[in-house]
Amino acid sequence: MIGRLAQIAGAYFRSALQEEFAYRGDLFGNVIRSVLNLGTAIGGVVVIFSHTETLGGWTLGQTLSLLGIFVFVNGFVAMFMSPSLNRVVEEVREGTFDYVLMKPVPALFLASARRFAVWHVSDIVLGAIVLGVALAGLDVRASGWGVLLFVALLACGVTIVYAIWLALTTLVFWFVRVANVTMIFNLFFQTGRYPIEVYPFWLRQLLTFVFPVAFVTTVPAQAVTGRDPSWLVWVAPVIAVVALLAATRFWRFGLSRYTSASS
Amino acid sequence: MSADVRVRHLVKHYEVADREGGLRASLRSVVRRRHRSVRAVDDITFDVEPGEIVGFLGPNGAGKTTALKLLSGLLHPTAGEATVLDFTPWERRREFLSQITLIMGQRQQLYWDLPALDTFLVNKAVFGLEDAAYREAVDLLVGLLELEEILTKPVRQLSLGERMKAELAAGLLHRPRVLFLDEPTIGLDVTMQQRIRDFVTRYNATTGATILLTSHYMADVKALAERVIVIDHGKLLYDGPLTGLIDRYAPHKTITLHLERPVDRADVAAYGEVVSADDVQVSVRTDKAQAASVTARMLAELPVADLSVEDPPLEYVIDQVFHRRAS
Ligand SMILES: Nc1ncnc2c1ncn2[C@@H]1O[C@H](COP(=O)(O)OP(=O)(O)O)[C@@H](O)[C@H]1O
Ligand SMILES: [Mg+2]
Repeated sequence: MIGRLAQIAGAYFRSALQEEFAYRGDLFGNVIRSVLNLGTAIGGVVVIFSHTETLGGWTLGQTLSLLGIFVFVNGFVAMFMSPSLNRVVEEVREGTFDYVLMKPVPALFLASARRFAVWHVSDIVLGAIVLGVALAGLDVRASGWGVLLFVALLACGVTIVYAIWLALTTLVFWFVRVANVTMIFNLFFQTGRYPIEVYPFWLRQLLTFVFPVAFVTTVPAQAVTGRDPSWLVWVAPVIAVVALLAATRFWRFGLSRYTSASS
Repeated sequence: MSADVRVRHLVKHYEVADREGGLRASLRSVVRRRHRSVRAVDDITFDVEPGEIVGFLGPNGAGKTTALKLLSGLLHPTAGEATVLDFTPWERRREFLSQITLIMGQRQQLYWDLPALDTFLVNKAVFGLEDAAYREAVDLLVGLLELEEILTKPVRQLSLGERMKAELAAGLLHRPRVLFLDEPTIGLDVTMQQRIRDFVTRYNATTGATILLTSHYMADVKALAERVIVIDHGKLLYDGPLTGLIDRYAPHKTITLHLERPVDRADVAAYGEVVSADDVQVSVRTDKAQAASVTARMLAELPVADLSVEDPPLEYVIDQVFHRRAS
Protein backbone atom coordinates (compact mmCIF):
# COMPACT_ATOMS: atom_id res chain seq x y z
CA MET A 1 0.00 0.00 0.00
CA ILE A 2 2.74 2.45 1.02
CA GLY A 3 4.70 1.57 -2.11
CA ARG A 4 1.69 2.15 -4.27
CA LEU A 5 0.95 5.51 -2.65
CA ALA A 6 4.58 6.54 -3.09
CA GLN A 7 4.33 5.67 -6.77
CA ILE A 8 1.19 7.76 -7.13
CA ALA A 9 2.74 10.72 -5.32
CA GLY A 10 5.76 10.32 -7.59
CA ALA A 11 3.59 10.52 -10.70
CA TYR A 12 1.93 13.69 -9.41
CA PHE A 13 5.31 15.13 -8.52
CA ARG A 14 6.60 14.54 -12.05
CA SER A 15 3.58 16.35 -13.46
CA ALA A 16 4.26 19.22 -11.09
CA LEU A 17 7.84 19.43 -12.34
CA GLN A 18 6.57 19.44 -15.90
CA GLU A 19 4.10 22.19 -15.15
CA GLU A 20 6.95 24.17 -13.66
CA PHE A 21 9.08 23.72 -16.75
CA ALA A 22 6.16 24.84 -18.90
CA TYR A 23 6.66 28.20 -17.16
CA ARG A 24 10.39 28.47 -16.89
CA GLY A 25 10.15 32.23 -16.42
CA ASP A 26 8.38 31.67 -13.12
CA LEU A 27 11.17 29.54 -11.76
CA PHE A 28 13.75 32.27 -12.15
CA GLY A 29 11.48 35.03 -10.84
CA ASN A 30 10.60 33.03 -7.79
CA VAL A 31 14.18 32.27 -6.85
CA ILE A 32 14.85 36.01 -6.94
CA ARG A 33 11.79 36.61 -4.83
CA SER A 34 12.93 34.06 -2.24
CA VAL A 35 16.30 35.75 -1.97
CA LEU A 36 14.76 39.21 -1.63
CA ASN A 37 12.28 38.01 0.99
CA LEU A 38 15.04 36.46 2.98
CA GLY A 39 17.20 39.57 2.69
CA THR A 40 14.40 41.73 4.06
CA ALA A 41 13.75 39.33 6.92
CA ILE A 42 17.41 39.16 7.94
CA GLY A 43 17.66 42.93 7.59
CA GLY A 44 14.69 43.34 9.91
CA VAL A 45 16.26 41.16 12.59
CA VAL A 46 19.62 42.95 12.30
CA VAL A 47 17.94 46.37 12.64
CA ILE A 48 16.12 45.24 15.78
CA PHE A 49 19.37 44.02 17.30
CA SER A 50 21.13 47.28 16.54
CA HIS A 51 18.93 48.71 19.34
CA THR A 52 19.02 45.83 21.76
CA GLU A 53 21.20 42.96 22.94
CA THR A 54 18.44 40.44 23.29
CA LEU A 55 14.91 39.95 22.04
CA GLY A 56 12.65 38.23 24.55
CA GLY A 57 15.81 36.69 25.95
CA TRP A 58 17.09 35.55 22.55
CA THR A 59 20.45 36.67 21.13
CA LEU A 60 20.99 37.74 17.53
CA GLY A 61 22.45 34.39 16.54
CA GLN A 62 19.63 32.48 18.19
CA THR A 63 16.99 34.66 16.56
CA LEU A 64 18.61 34.18 13.16
CA SER A 65 18.62 30.41 13.69
CA LEU A 66 14.93 30.62 14.41
CA LEU A 67 14.42 32.68 11.26
CA GLY A 68 16.24 29.98 9.28
CA ILE A 69 13.88 27.37 10.69
CA PHE A 70 10.92 29.55 9.82
CA VAL A 71 12.05 30.04 6.22
CA PHE A 72 12.72 26.32 5.92
CA VAL A 73 9.33 25.24 7.26
CA ASN A 74 7.58 27.98 5.31
CA GLY A 75 9.19 26.69 2.12
CA PHE A 76 8.39 23.11 2.98
CA VAL A 77 4.73 23.94 3.61
CA ALA A 78 4.50 26.03 0.45
CA MET A 79 6.06 23.29 -1.63
CA PHE A 80 4.38 20.18 -0.27
CA MET A 81 1.20 21.15 1.54
CA SER A 82 -0.56 24.30 0.49
CA PRO A 83 -0.75 23.57 -3.25
CA SER A 84 -2.69 20.33 -2.77
CA LEU A 85 -4.95 21.63 -0.03
CA ASN A 86 -5.67 24.88 -1.87
CA ARG A 87 -6.55 22.82 -4.89
CA VAL A 88 -9.17 20.97 -2.84
CA VAL A 89 -10.88 24.27 -2.07
CA GLU A 90 -10.93 25.19 -5.76
CA GLU A 91 -12.14 21.76 -6.80
CA VAL A 92 -15.00 21.67 -4.35
CA ARG A 93 -16.06 25.05 -5.70
CA GLU A 94 -15.78 23.99 -9.33
CA GLY A 95 -17.29 20.57 -8.77
CA THR A 96 -14.24 18.76 -10.09
CA PHE A 97 -13.57 17.32 -6.64
CA ASP A 98 -15.90 14.56 -7.83
CA TYR A 99 -13.07 13.27 -9.97
CA VAL A 100 -10.85 12.99 -6.91
CA LEU A 101 -13.46 10.89 -5.15
CA MET A 102 -13.77 8.65 -8.19
CA LYS A 103 -10.17 7.48 -7.86
CA PRO A 104 -9.48 4.17 -6.12
CA VAL A 105 -7.15 5.87 -3.65
CA PRO A 106 -7.98 7.33 -0.21
CA ALA A 107 -9.32 10.84 -0.69
CA LEU A 108 -7.20 12.27 2.12
CA PHE A 109 -4.07 11.11 0.37
CA LEU A 110 -5.07 12.70 -2.92
CA ALA A 111 -6.13 15.85 -1.12
CA SER A 112 -2.69 16.12 0.46
CA ALA A 113 -0.14 14.85 -2.05
CA ARG A 114 -1.21 15.87 -5.47
CA ARG A 115 0.14 19.30 -6.20
CA PHE A 116 3.62 20.58 -5.54
CA ALA A 117 5.04 24.07 -5.96
CA VAL A 118 8.48 22.88 -6.92
CA TRP A 119 10.24 26.23 -7.03
CA HIS A 120 9.78 26.72 -3.26
CA VAL A 121 12.74 24.41 -2.98
CA SER A 122 14.78 27.63 -3.01
CA ASP A 123 13.18 28.67 0.30
CA ILE A 124 13.95 25.29 1.80
CA VAL A 125 17.59 25.51 0.77
CA LEU A 126 17.99 29.14 1.86
CA GLY A 127 16.36 28.39 5.21
CA ALA A 128 18.77 25.53 5.82
CA ILE A 129 21.73 27.75 4.91
CA VAL A 130 20.65 30.55 7.27
CA LEU A 131 20.19 28.04 10.08
CA GLY A 132 23.58 26.47 9.39
CA VAL A 133 25.46 29.77 9.26
CA ALA A 134 23.72 31.15 12.37
CA LEU A 135 24.47 27.97 14.31
CA ALA A 136 28.11 28.05 13.26
CA GLY A 137 28.34 31.56 14.72
CA LEU A 138 26.73 30.40 17.96
CA ASP A 139 29.33 27.76 18.63
CA VAL A 140 26.92 25.18 20.05
CA ARG A 141 28.08 21.63 20.36
CA ALA A 142 25.70 19.37 18.48
CA SER A 143 25.37 15.99 20.16
CA GLY A 144 23.78 13.13 18.27
CA TRP A 145 20.83 13.30 20.66
CA GLY A 146 20.51 17.02 20.13
CA VAL A 147 20.24 16.63 16.38
CA LEU A 148 17.74 13.81 16.77
CA LEU A 149 15.64 15.88 19.16
CA PHE A 150 15.72 18.82 16.79
CA VAL A 151 14.61 16.75 13.81
CA ALA A 152 11.84 15.15 15.89
CA LEU A 153 10.63 18.55 17.07
CA LEU A 154 10.71 19.90 13.53
CA ALA A 155 8.63 16.92 12.40
CA CYS A 156 6.14 17.65 15.18
CA GLY A 157 5.95 21.27 14.05
CA VAL A 158 5.34 20.35 10.43
CA THR A 159 2.69 17.82 11.49
CA ILE A 160 0.93 20.50 13.50
CA VAL A 161 0.98 22.87 10.54
CA TYR A 162 -0.48 20.15 8.33
CA ALA A 163 -3.24 19.43 10.84
CA ILE A 164 -4.21 23.08 11.09
CA TRP A 165 -4.23 23.52 7.37
CA LEU A 166 -6.23 20.36 6.79
CA ALA A 167 -8.82 21.51 9.33
CA LEU A 168 -9.08 24.92 7.66
CA THR A 169 -9.43 23.28 4.25
CA THR A 170 -12.17 21.00 5.53
CA LEU A 171 -14.33 24.06 6.22
CA VAL A 172 -14.94 24.21 2.48
CA PHE A 173 -17.46 21.38 2.85
CA TRP A 174 -19.68 23.76 4.83
CA PHE A 175 -18.81 27.13 3.39
CA VAL A 176 -18.12 26.74 -0.28
CA ARG A 177 -16.99 30.32 -0.36
CA VAL A 178 -14.63 29.91 2.57
CA ALA A 179 -12.44 32.99 2.66
CA ASN A 180 -8.98 32.41 1.33
CA VAL A 181 -7.66 29.73 3.64
CA THR A 182 -4.10 30.71 2.90
CA MET A 183 -4.75 34.17 4.30
CA ILE A 184 -6.18 33.02 7.61
CA PHE A 185 -3.39 30.57 7.96
CA ASN A 186 -0.64 33.01 7.11
CA LEU A 187 -1.93 35.60 9.54
CA PHE A 188 -0.98 33.26 12.36
CA PHE A 189 1.86 31.44 10.73
CA GLN A 190 3.86 34.61 10.11
CA THR A 191 4.10 35.16 13.89
CA GLY A 192 6.54 32.25 13.81
CA ARG A 193 9.26 34.54 12.44
CA TYR A 194 10.05 35.63 15.99
CA PRO A 195 10.43 33.72 19.21
CA ILE A 196 7.17 33.31 21.06
CA GLU A 197 8.60 35.22 24.04
CA VAL A 198 8.36 38.55 22.22
CA TYR A 199 4.57 38.47 22.20
CA PRO A 200 2.26 39.59 25.01
CA PHE A 201 0.93 36.98 27.40
CA TRP A 202 -2.50 36.45 25.78
CA LEU A 203 -1.02 36.04 22.31
CA ARG A 204 1.55 33.62 23.65
CA GLN A 205 -1.24 31.44 25.05
CA LEU A 206 -3.08 31.64 21.74
CA LEU A 207 0.02 30.68 19.77
CA THR A 208 0.77 27.79 22.09
CA PHE A 209 -2.57 26.15 22.69
CA VAL A 210 -5.02 27.31 20.04
CA PHE A 211 -2.98 27.92 16.93
CA PRO A 212 0.23 26.25 18.08
CA VAL A 213 2.80 28.10 16.00
CA ALA A 214 5.12 27.97 19.03
CA PHE A 215 5.84 24.33 18.26
CA VAL A 216 6.78 25.05 14.67
CA THR A 217 9.71 27.43 15.19
CA THR A 218 10.29 28.44 18.81
CA VAL A 219 10.47 24.98 20.33
CA PRO A 220 12.78 23.41 17.70
CA ALA A 221 14.95 26.54 17.82
CA GLN A 222 15.26 26.29 21.60
CA ALA A 223 16.49 22.74 21.21
CA VAL A 224 19.02 23.43 18.49
CA THR A 225 20.50 26.69 19.81
CA GLY A 226 21.22 25.24 23.21
CA ARG A 227 18.73 27.45 25.04
CA ASP A 228 17.05 25.88 28.03
CA PRO A 229 14.43 23.68 26.47
CA SER A 230 11.10 24.54 28.05
CA TRP A 231 8.57 21.96 29.15
CA LEU A 232 6.94 22.50 25.75
CA VAL A 233 9.48 20.07 24.28
CA TRP A 234 7.61 17.23 25.93
CA VAL A 235 4.21 18.52 24.93
CA ALA A 236 5.09 18.87 21.24
CA PRO A 237 4.61 15.23 20.22
CA VAL A 238 1.37 15.03 22.18
CA ILE A 239 -0.03 18.12 20.50
CA ALA A 240 1.13 16.89 17.10
CA VAL A 241 -0.60 13.52 17.45
CA VAL A 242 -3.77 14.98 18.92
CA ALA A 243 -3.95 17.68 16.24
CA LEU A 244 -3.40 15.17 13.45
CA LEU A 245 -6.06 12.79 14.76
CA ALA A 246 -8.55 15.59 15.30
CA ALA A 247 -7.93 17.08 11.85
CA THR A 248 -8.29 13.79 9.99
CA ARG A 249 -11.50 13.01 11.88
CA PHE A 250 -12.83 16.43 11.03
CA TRP A 251 -11.87 15.84 7.40
CA ARG A 252 -13.75 12.55 7.31
CA PHE A 253 -16.77 14.19 8.84
CA GLY A 254 -16.66 17.00 6.28
CA LEU A 255 -16.24 14.53 3.45
CA SER A 256 -19.24 12.49 4.56
CA ARG A 257 -21.21 15.71 4.49
CA TYR A 258 -20.02 16.39 0.98
CA THR A 259 -20.92 12.96 -0.28
CA SER A 260 -24.41 13.26 1.07
CA ALA A 261 -24.55 16.78 -0.44
CA SER A 262 -27.07 18.05 2.01
CA SER A 263 -26.51 21.70 1.28
CA MET B 1 -25.65 -13.55 -15.19
CA SER B 2 -26.92 -10.79 -12.92
CA ALA B 3 -27.53 -7.22 -13.98
CA ASP B 4 -24.54 -4.87 -14.04
CA VAL B 5 -26.63 -2.09 -12.58
CA ARG B 6 -29.50 -2.86 -10.26
CA VAL B 7 -31.56 -0.04 -8.80
CA ARG B 8 -34.42 -0.50 -6.33
CA HIS B 9 -36.60 2.33 -5.05
CA LEU B 10 -33.70 4.72 -5.03
CA VAL B 11 -34.43 8.07 -3.42
CA LYS B 12 -32.25 11.15 -3.00
CA HIS B 13 -33.44 14.31 -1.31
CA TYR B 14 -31.26 17.39 -1.02
CA GLU B 15 -31.78 19.69 1.92
CA VAL B 16 -31.52 23.24 0.72
CA ALA B 17 -31.68 26.40 2.76
CA ASP B 18 -34.64 28.36 1.54
CA ARG B 19 -33.93 32.01 1.25
CA GLU B 20 -35.86 34.86 -0.22
CA GLY B 21 -34.11 37.68 -1.98
CA GLY B 22 -33.05 40.90 -0.30
CA LEU B 23 -30.81 41.85 2.58
CA ARG B 24 -33.55 41.56 5.19
CA ALA B 25 -34.28 38.00 4.22
CA SER B 26 -30.60 37.16 4.09
CA LEU B 27 -30.08 38.41 7.62
CA ARG B 28 -33.09 36.56 8.86
CA SER B 29 -31.89 33.37 7.24
CA VAL B 30 -28.65 33.55 9.20
CA VAL B 31 -30.60 33.33 12.41
CA ARG B 32 -33.36 31.02 11.44
CA ARG B 33 -32.75 28.90 8.43
CA ARG B 34 -35.68 27.35 6.74
CA HIS B 35 -34.91 24.10 5.04
CA ARG B 36 -36.64 22.67 2.10
CA SER B 37 -36.26 19.22 0.69
CA VAL B 38 -35.65 18.80 -3.04
CA ARG B 39 -36.65 15.38 -4.28
CA ALA B 40 -33.98 15.02 -6.93
CA VAL B 41 -34.45 11.27 -7.35
CA ASP B 42 -37.78 9.97 -6.21
CA ASP B 43 -38.16 6.21 -6.03
CA ILE B 44 -36.69 4.85 -9.25
CA THR B 45 -36.20 1.18 -10.06
CA PHE B 46 -34.51 -0.40 -13.06
CA ASP B 47 -31.85 -2.88 -14.18
CA VAL B 48 -29.16 -2.60 -16.80
CA GLU B 49 -27.76 -5.79 -18.30
CA PRO B 50 -24.08 -6.25 -19.18
CA GLY B 51 -23.19 -4.61 -22.47
CA GLU B 52 -26.35 -2.51 -22.71
CA ILE B 53 -26.39 1.16 -23.67
CA VAL B 54 -29.16 3.01 -21.88
CA GLY B 55 -30.07 6.64 -22.46
CA PHE B 56 -31.29 8.73 -19.55
CA LEU B 57 -33.66 11.32 -20.86
CA GLY B 58 -35.25 14.22 -19.06
CA PRO B 59 -35.44 18.00 -18.94
CA ASN B 60 -33.01 20.10 -16.89
CA GLY B 61 -33.31 19.41 -13.20
CA ALA B 62 -34.99 16.06 -13.77
CA GLY B 63 -32.48 14.23 -11.59
CA LYS B 64 -30.28 12.62 -14.22
CA THR B 65 -26.95 13.80 -12.83
CA THR B 66 -28.00 12.97 -9.29
CA ALA B 67 -28.89 9.43 -10.36
CA LEU B 68 -25.48 8.97 -12.00
CA LYS B 69 -23.71 10.38 -8.95
CA LEU B 70 -25.52 7.93 -6.71
CA LEU B 71 -24.58 5.03 -8.96
CA SER B 72 -20.94 6.07 -9.10
CA GLY B 73 -20.75 6.39 -5.33
CA LEU B 74 -20.37 10.15 -5.00
CA LEU B 75 -23.59 10.52 -3.06
CA HIS B 76 -25.36 8.57 -0.34
CA PRO B 77 -29.02 7.92 -1.08
CA THR B 78 -31.80 9.03 1.22
CA ALA B 79 -33.47 5.64 0.78
CA GLY B 80 -33.44 2.63 -1.47
CA GLU B 81 -30.80 0.29 -2.79
CA ALA B 82 -28.48 -0.01 -5.72
CA THR B 83 -25.71 -2.31 -6.79
CA VAL B 84 -23.24 -1.80 -9.60
CA LEU B 85 -21.21 -4.88 -10.50
CA ASP B 86 -22.54 -6.30 -7.22
CA PHE B 87 -20.97 -3.50 -5.18
CA THR B 88 -22.89 -0.93 -3.21
CA PRO B 89 -21.59 2.22 -4.89
CA TRP B 90 -21.48 4.58 -1.90
CA GLU B 91 -19.27 2.19 0.05
CA ARG B 92 -16.71 3.31 -2.50
CA ARG B 93 -14.63 0.15 -2.42
CA ARG B 94 -11.39 0.22 -4.31
CA GLU B 95 -12.40 -2.74 -6.49
CA PHE B 96 -15.59 -0.91 -7.38
CA LEU B 97 -13.93 2.39 -8.27
CA SER B 98 -11.38 0.55 -10.41
CA GLN B 99 -14.11 -0.88 -12.61
CA ILE B 100 -16.34 2.09 -13.27
CA THR B 101 -15.97 5.60 -14.57
CA LEU B 102 -17.96 8.80 -14.43
CA ILE B 103 -17.29 11.32 -17.15
CA MET B 104 -19.03 14.66 -16.99
CA GLY B 105 -19.23 16.84 -20.07
CA GLN B 106 -19.12 19.99 -18.02
CA ARG B 107 -16.27 19.14 -15.69
CA GLN B 108 -12.74 18.34 -16.61
CA GLN B 109 -10.01 16.40 -14.90
CA LEU B 110 -7.14 17.05 -17.32
CA TYR B 111 -4.19 19.21 -16.32
CA TRP B 112 -4.83 22.50 -18.06
CA ASP B 113 -1.23 23.47 -18.83
CA LEU B 114 0.11 20.03 -19.72
CA PRO B 115 -0.53 17.69 -22.61
CA ALA B 116 -3.27 15.15 -21.93
CA LEU B 117 -0.62 12.43 -22.00
CA ASP B 118 0.67 13.67 -18.65
CA THR B 119 -2.75 13.27 -17.06
CA PHE B 120 -2.82 9.78 -18.55
CA LEU B 121 0.46 8.92 -16.83
CA VAL B 122 -0.88 10.13 -13.52
CA ASN B 123 -4.00 8.02 -13.97
CA LYS B 124 -1.83 5.07 -14.87
CA ALA B 125 -0.21 5.33 -11.45
CA VAL B 126 -3.46 6.07 -9.65
CA PHE B 127 -5.15 3.00 -11.09
CA GLY B 128 -1.99 0.92 -10.77
CA LEU B 129 -1.96 -0.08 -14.44
CA GLU B 130 0.78 -2.31 -15.78
CA ASP B 131 2.75 -0.92 -18.71
CA ALA B 132 1.27 -3.42 -21.14
CA ALA B 133 -2.32 -2.81 -20.07
CA TYR B 134 -1.76 0.94 -20.23
CA ARG B 135 -0.25 0.78 -23.71
CA GLU B 136 -3.09 -1.37 -24.93
CA ALA B 137 -5.71 0.99 -23.54
CA VAL B 138 -4.01 4.04 -25.02
CA ASP B 139 -3.71 2.35 -28.41
CA LEU B 140 -7.37 1.40 -28.41
CA LEU B 141 -8.49 4.89 -27.42
CA VAL B 142 -6.15 6.68 -29.80
CA GLY B 143 -7.58 4.56 -32.58
CA LEU B 144 -11.22 5.01 -31.69
CA LEU B 145 -11.00 8.71 -30.89
CA GLU B 146 -8.38 9.76 -33.45
CA LEU B 147 -6.20 11.26 -30.75
CA GLU B 148 -2.71 11.21 -32.31
CA GLU B 149 -2.32 14.95 -32.74
CA ILE B 150 -4.22 15.84 -29.64
CA LEU B 151 -2.34 14.09 -26.88
CA THR B 152 0.92 15.98 -27.06
CA LYS B 153 -0.50 19.50 -27.12
CA PRO B 154 -1.15 21.37 -23.87
CA VAL B 155 -4.82 20.94 -23.02
CA ARG B 156 -5.44 24.67 -22.97
CA GLN B 157 -4.63 24.78 -26.70
CA LEU B 158 -7.27 22.21 -27.61
CA SER B 159 -10.71 22.96 -28.99
CA LEU B 160 -13.69 22.06 -26.84
CA GLY B 161 -14.34 18.93 -28.90
CA GLU B 162 -10.72 17.79 -28.79
CA ARG B 163 -10.66 18.36 -25.07
CA MET B 164 -13.78 16.23 -24.64
CA LYS B 165 -12.16 13.42 -26.59
CA ALA B 166 -9.10 13.59 -24.37
CA GLU B 167 -11.33 13.68 -21.26
CA LEU B 168 -13.09 10.55 -22.43
CA ALA B 169 -9.77 8.81 -22.96
CA ALA B 170 -8.47 9.89 -19.52
CA GLY B 171 -11.59 8.45 -17.91
CA LEU B 172 -11.36 5.15 -19.79
CA LEU B 173 -7.69 4.17 -19.43
CA HIS B 174 -8.43 1.71 -16.66
CA ARG B 175 -10.86 -0.16 -18.92
CA PRO B 176 -13.93 0.29 -16.75
CA ARG B 177 -16.72 -2.23 -17.21
CA VAL B 178 -19.44 0.29 -16.46
CA LEU B 179 -19.47 3.81 -17.89
CA PHE B 180 -21.56 6.69 -16.59
CA LEU B 181 -21.49 9.51 -19.10
CA ASP B 182 -23.18 12.73 -18.05
CA GLU B 183 -23.95 14.95 -21.03
CA PRO B 184 -20.82 13.90 -22.94
CA THR B 185 -21.75 15.97 -26.00
CA ILE B 186 -22.82 19.15 -24.27
CA GLY B 187 -21.75 22.35 -25.99
CA LEU B 188 -20.11 20.56 -28.92
CA ASP B 189 -20.87 21.33 -32.54
CA VAL B 190 -22.96 18.89 -34.54
CA THR B 191 -20.05 17.11 -36.23
CA MET B 192 -18.23 16.62 -32.97
CA GLN B 193 -21.39 15.37 -31.28
CA GLN B 194 -21.63 12.83 -34.07
CA ARG B 195 -18.01 11.75 -33.53
CA ILE B 196 -18.52 11.25 -29.82
CA ARG B 197 -21.66 9.23 -30.50
CA ASP B 198 -19.82 7.03 -32.97
CA PHE B 199 -17.12 6.53 -30.41
CA VAL B 200 -19.54 5.44 -27.71
CA THR B 201 -21.14 2.90 -30.05
CA ARG B 202 -17.83 1.50 -31.17
CA TYR B 203 -16.37 1.46 -27.68
CA ASN B 204 -19.39 -0.50 -26.53
CA ALA B 205 -19.05 -2.93 -29.44
CA THR B 206 -15.31 -3.37 -28.91
CA THR B 207 -15.18 -3.74 -25.15
CA GLY B 208 -18.68 -4.89 -24.25
CA ALA B 209 -18.84 -2.20 -21.59
CA THR B 210 -22.16 -1.28 -20.03
CA ILE B 211 -23.04 2.36 -20.67
CA LEU B 212 -25.50 4.69 -19.01
CA LEU B 213 -25.56 8.11 -20.54
CA THR B 214 -27.59 11.24 -20.07
CA SER B 215 -28.24 13.88 -22.63
CA HIS B 216 -30.80 16.35 -23.55
CA TYR B 217 -29.89 16.17 -27.20
CA MET B 218 -32.46 13.98 -28.88
CA ALA B 219 -29.99 13.06 -31.59
CA ASP B 220 -27.72 11.43 -29.00
CA VAL B 221 -30.47 9.27 -27.68
CA LYS B 222 -31.81 8.40 -31.10
CA ALA B 223 -28.40 7.33 -32.33
CA LEU B 224 -27.14 5.52 -29.26
CA ALA B 225 -29.70 3.96 -27.12
CA GLU B 226 -32.12 1.29 -28.10
CA ARG B 227 -33.43 1.60 -24.60
CA VAL B 228 -34.35 4.86 -22.92
CA ILE B 229 -35.29 5.73 -19.39
CA VAL B 230 -37.28 8.92 -19.10
CA ILE B 231 -37.29 10.74 -15.79
CA ASP B 232 -38.84 13.99 -14.72
CA HIS B 233 -39.03 15.49 -11.24
CA GLY B 234 -37.03 12.49 -10.08
CA LYS B 235 -39.68 10.01 -11.14
CA LEU B 236 -39.27 7.31 -13.73
CA LEU B 237 -41.87 7.88 -16.44
CA TYR B 238 -40.85 5.37 -19.04
CA ASP B 239 -38.36 2.54 -19.41
CA GLY B 240 -38.19 0.63 -22.65
CA PRO B 241 -37.31 0.75 -26.31
CA LEU B 242 -37.34 4.09 -28.05
CA THR B 243 -40.00 2.89 -30.51
CA GLY B 244 -42.26 1.96 -27.61
CA LEU B 245 -41.93 5.48 -26.27
CA ILE B 246 -43.24 6.85 -29.54
CA ASP B 247 -46.11 4.37 -29.65
CA ARG B 248 -47.11 5.14 -26.14
CA TYR B 249 -46.85 8.90 -26.02
CA ALA B 250 -47.32 9.97 -29.59
CA PRO B 251 -49.24 7.24 -31.34
CA HIS B 252 -49.75 9.11 -34.55
CA LYS B 253 -48.26 9.70 -37.94
CA THR B 254 -47.81 12.91 -39.82
CA ILE B 255 -49.01 12.76 -43.42
CA THR B 256 -47.57 15.49 -45.62
CA LEU B 257 -49.24 16.22 -48.95
CA HIS B 258 -47.98 18.10 -51.97
CA LEU B 259 -51.08 19.24 -53.82
CA GLU B 260 -51.46 19.99 -57.49
CA ARG B 261 -53.56 23.02 -56.65
CA PRO B 262 -54.64 24.76 -53.44
CA VAL B 263 -57.69 23.32 -51.70
CA ASP B 264 -59.98 24.61 -49.01
CA ARG B 265 -58.49 24.14 -45.59
CA ALA B 266 -61.71 22.70 -44.27
CA ASP B 267 -61.51 19.93 -46.82
CA VAL B 268 -58.15 18.90 -45.44
CA ALA B 269 -59.20 19.19 -41.82
CA ALA B 270 -61.70 16.42 -42.38
CA TYR B 271 -58.79 13.93 -42.44
CA GLY B 272 -57.16 14.88 -39.16
CA GLU B 273 -55.51 17.64 -37.21
CA VAL B 274 -53.81 20.09 -39.56
CA VAL B 275 -50.30 20.71 -38.30
CA SER B 276 -49.20 23.11 -40.99
CA ALA B 277 -50.65 24.33 -44.24
CA ASP B 278 -49.64 26.66 -47.00
CA ASP B 279 -50.83 26.90 -50.60
CA VAL B 280 -49.97 23.46 -51.85
CA GLN B 281 -48.26 21.75 -48.94
CA VAL B 282 -50.29 20.44 -46.02
CA SER B 283 -49.35 18.31 -43.01
CA VAL B 284 -52.01 16.37 -41.17
CA ARG B 285 -51.66 14.36 -37.99
CA THR B 286 -53.72 11.18 -37.67
CA ASP B 287 -53.97 8.23 -35.38
CA LYS B 288 -51.34 5.66 -36.14
CA ALA B 289 -53.93 2.93 -36.52
CA GLN B 290 -55.81 4.92 -39.13
CA ALA B 291 -52.84 6.24 -41.05
CA ALA B 292 -53.22 3.68 -43.85
CA SER B 293 -56.90 4.22 -44.47
CA VAL B 294 -56.61 8.00 -44.21
CA THR B 295 -53.81 7.97 -46.73
CA ALA B 296 -55.88 5.91 -49.12
CA ARG B 297 -58.82 8.26 -48.79
CA MET B 298 -56.65 11.31 -49.36
CA LEU B 299 -55.19 9.83 -52.50
CA ALA B 300 -58.66 9.11 -53.80
CA GLU B 301 -60.31 12.37 -52.84
CA LEU B 302 -57.63 15.13 -53.07
CA PRO B 303 -55.45 16.34 -55.96
CA VAL B 304 -52.29 14.79 -54.49
CA ALA B 305 -48.99 15.28 -56.32
CA ASP B 306 -46.81 13.66 -53.70
CA LEU B 307 -47.26 12.23 -50.22
CA SER B 308 -45.11 11.13 -47.29
CA VAL B 309 -45.93 9.49 -43.95
CA GLU B 310 -43.65 10.06 -40.95
CA ASP B 311 -43.34 9.26 -37.29
CA PRO B 312 -43.53 12.35 -35.12
CA PRO B 313 -40.14 13.90 -34.32
CA LEU B 314 -38.60 12.74 -31.06
CA GLU B 315 -38.68 16.26 -29.68
CA TYR B 316 -42.41 16.22 -30.05
CA VAL B 317 -42.66 12.83 -28.36
CA ILE B 318 -40.66 13.98 -25.38
CA ASP B 319 -42.78 17.08 -25.19
CA GLN B 320 -45.83 14.85 -25.00
CA VAL B 321 -44.28 12.77 -22.23
CA PHE B 322 -43.65 15.75 -19.99
CA HIS B 323 -46.84 17.48 -20.95
CA ARG B 324 -48.95 14.51 -20.00
CA ARG B 325 -47.34 14.30 -16.63
CA ALA B 326 -47.97 17.97 -15.95
CA SER B 327 -51.65 17.78 -16.81
N1 LIG C 1 -25.90 19.65 -4.52
C1 LIG C 1 -27.20 19.97 -4.61
N2 LIG C 1 -27.82 20.57 -3.59
C2 LIG C 1 -29.13 20.88 -3.67
N3 LIG C 1 -29.91 20.63 -4.72
C3 LIG C 1 -29.37 20.03 -5.78
C4 LIG C 1 -27.98 19.67 -5.78
N4 LIG C 1 -27.70 19.09 -6.98
C5 LIG C 1 -28.86 19.09 -7.68
N5 LIG C 1 -29.87 19.65 -6.98
C6 LIG C 1 -31.29 19.78 -7.39
O1 LIG C 1 -31.77 18.48 -7.65
C7 LIG C 1 -32.58 18.46 -8.81
C8 LIG C 1 -32.00 17.49 -9.83
O2 LIG C 1 -30.77 17.98 -10.33
P1 LIG C 1 -29.87 17.18 -11.34
O3 LIG C 1 -29.70 15.80 -10.86
O4 LIG C 1 -28.63 17.97 -11.56
O5 LIG C 1 -30.77 17.19 -12.66
P2 LIG C 1 -30.36 16.99 -14.19
O6 LIG C 1 -28.99 16.41 -14.25
O7 LIG C 1 -31.40 16.06 -14.73
O8 LIG C 1 -30.44 18.33 -14.83
C9 LIG C 1 -32.63 19.89 -9.30
O9 LIG C 1 -33.82 20.47 -8.79
C10 LIG C 1 -31.44 20.53 -8.69
O10 LIG C 1 -31.65 21.89 -8.45
MG1 LIG D 1 -27.32 17.20 -15.24
